[in-house]
Amino acid sequence: MLLAKLALGFCGTIVLAGTYTFHEGVLRVDEDHSDGRHVHVWVPAAIVPMALHVIPRHHFEHAAAEARPWLPVFRALTKELEKYPEAELVEVRDANQHVRIRTHNGKLLIDVTEPGENVHVVCPLVMMEDVARELEAQSPAA
Amino acid sequence: MIRRTRFYVENAALILTGALLFALCANLAPNASAQPSSGSGGRGQAAPNSSHDRWLHVRVTNPNSNEESVRVNVPLELAEKILPTINQHGLHGGKVTFDQADCHGVDLRALLDAVRTSKDGEFVTVQNKDSDVRVAKQNGYLLVHVFEKNRPKKSQVEVKVPMKVVDALFSAGKDELDLVAALHALSSQGDTELVSVKDEENTVRVWLDSKNVTD
Repeated sequence: MLLAKLALGFCGTIVLAGTYTFHEGVLRVDEDHSDGRHVHVWVPAAIVPMALHVIPRHHFEHAAAEARPWLPVFRALTKELEKYPEAELVEVRDANQHVRIRTHNGKLLIDVTEPGENVHVVCPLVMMEDVARELEAQSPAA
Repeated sequence: MIRRTRFYVENAALILTGALLFALCANLAPNASAQPSSGSGGRGQAAPNSSHDRWLHVRVTNPNSNEESVRVNVPLELAEKILPTINQHGLHGGKVTFDQADCHGVDLRALLDAVRTSKDGEFVTVQNKDSDVRVAKQNGYLLVHVFEKNRPKKSQVEVKVPMKVVDALFSAGKDELDLVAALHALSSQGDTELVSVKDEENTVRVWLDSKNVTD
């Protein structure tokens, strides 16, 4: 019985931690090249804003200063986009290329398809808003 | 007896804890299964929109090639909220500053007042061998029609803007256009085709409706 209790406690902790980590979804970047190269990055969205806290400040001070004028725009945009969980925002198509930007299930999806290269990005909007807020708080003029 | 009761209580507690954990996971985890971005949820999947949702659509197509197209769909409410946050390149607080010098000495505000107070009718008609230009006011709309005849690529431009929107646009201070006020005025309009440009290379349409997808 003691073993069962320990196992339940351990599994419960793992499940809870896993569930919390993934509750905001997953940031995904998938790149497929015709030469056989594939890049797939999957990061739990919940840990991205947390990761900003542990990055040494000087590493993104310059980037944050550059981006500062646009951070309110970025934050407002992500906050507003959350109201439109299913929307086709931009689609550009020509003979070779196809670019789509849309929201689906509360995520921003960017798909770029061209000969020899496909890029798909899935980014939870909640995470984007959190990141914008974090960057605003940490940028030099804040 | 006590031992057996304890056994039952412990088992019940284990089962209850497991059930609670399962319920918690089921509630928290709906986002964990990320959808693949390609293919799924394609165009034509309209989400249920509330009645106040108004969308501005821009569509550029090439009549000679079905493969080339640009489609942009912007919720007006989103644009209204975003514009005031941009403070770049003459845009500030949702207003854009323009230079009177660019208007070749024409007092736009006085011109607008004259148009607003006049009755419906045609104000400008220019017809020559190169082009026809017509500016009119009709049923609360400002209409501009330009037809170029002799260009290598004939073109036709039609603009139809509600007067309320024009009024809102010029409601800011001198030398300023209030874009946010114009968008707000536009959101109270019904389904409207605002701009249509046709030439031999491209067709451009800008219109307003309640759908979050283009046709």
